[in-house]
Amino acid sequence: MVALPQKVNRANLLRSRWGSEVEQTGEYSVAADRSAVWTGLNDPEVLARCIEGCQSVSKVSDDVFEASVKAKVGPVRATFSAAIALTDIDPPSSYLINVAVKGGPAGFAKGSAEVILEEADGYTVLRYRVAANVGGKLAQIGSRLVDSAARKMADSFFAAFEREFEGQDRRADGASGNSR
Amino acid sequence: MYPFNYHRPQSADDALALFKAAEDGIYLAGGQTLLPTMKQRLAAPTDLIDLCNVPDLRGIELETQAVSVGALTLHSEVAGHEGIRSALPVLSSLAGEIGDSQVRNRGTLGGSVANSDPAADYPAAIVGLGATIHTMDRSIEGDDFFKDLFETALNPGELITRICFPVPERAAYQKFPNPASRYAIVGVLVADFSGEIRVGVTGAGPCAFRASGIEQVLNADLSPESIDAVEVPESGFNNDLHASAIYRAHLVKVMAKRAVADLLN
Repeated sequence: MVALPQKVNRANLLRSRWGSEVEQTGEYSVAADRSAVWTGLNDPEVLARCIEGCQSVSKVSDDVFEASVKAKVGPVRATFSAAIALTDIDPPSSYLINVAVKGGPAGFAKGSAEVILEEADGYTVLRYRVAANVGGKLAQIGSRLVDSAARKMADSFFAAFEREFEGQDRRADGASGNSR
Repeated sequence: MYPFNYHRPQSADDALALFKAAEDGIYLAGGQTLLPTMKQRLAAPTDLIDLCNVPDLRGIELETQAVSVGALTLHSEVAGHEGIRSALPVLSSLAGEIGDSQVRNRGTLGGSVANSDPAADYPAAIVGLGATIHTMDRSIEGDDFFKDLFETALNPGELITRICFPVPERAAYQKFPNPASRYAIVGVLVADFSGEIRVGVTGAGPCAFRASGIEQVLNADLSPESIDAVEVPESGFNNDLHASAIYRAHLVKVMAKRAVADLLN
């Protein structure tokens, strides 16, 4: 019992350090107009297809989602449930995604991503900036891997999101050929 | 730890069959990453397939200009093997610096390489020496093996059987270890294949890679000073509580210079 407060303090100290350290940015160009990209970013089905290992995404209200994700990072394979809330919504140009992940025994992660959409010539530029906090066993075991793993997941999400629109182009072409 | 089925197959074919039959199977080589992960309940495989009794995965063979090491060879065996120490001393010294003696007496070459931990030491030797990774049905060049964080060219269930390291004229490995885990915050292996220089880097990025910029200047002038002219961009490098991406980029040059100095001695 004596050791408990010490442990808690140490964890808090480390968490506050990671809070500023786990931060990353990225930029993608999506072959669709801004309103279509905006719709996609708000569509649970599109999100579910783009999140690697996603088992379900459900819409709780217009700006609150719940997702269940089976994450696989090296030896770690755990199912996480995430509550996703959208704030600072300014359609169709920007919002803030706030994610709170509960990994059961694996620990927790909290993060927010600022997403900005800019119209370009025939496509949309998507920029994001993520800041995240990780705690529990995930942090104990994965402290040196959290940043790399988060970056990999973000990259994989936005790459899949990009493909989503390429796919739509192809599906549209195919549809006209098949007169469906 | 969650309950799981434990298997100890006697051949590589049996191991593969068990893997295919399992709902969520995983191979156990040395278990130095897998077992702590399972104990923390961060992984819950249904079937653990222990490879310790598979004879095809063992043994060290010295060939002309190459050293072939079985996948289940312990780090301590590589570090202490007389033949490797005289033919390829860089590999035995690298193995001798992995973790602590407990890790070196359980951890295996194949397990480390298949895991592709970004901070593991062996991957620097795989890319730096241009090793060939042999699996049950194909060979994969070291340059093509590591794909990303914990990702390799291996297919699900594919087992590494042996790894064949070409013997360079001279080589050296230098790492900046984490003082607690001895993981490489950055490790650089420089090898001289009769005038053709290869540089393998581990710890810096999501997986091991060749530093082509450093190779280029060293091919022109094999000296520690020539590395000063190289720009190592930190973009995409690992950033964690131990070291920032910029610091790692800096360490790549420092470790490369030390390795070259070592190699010239």
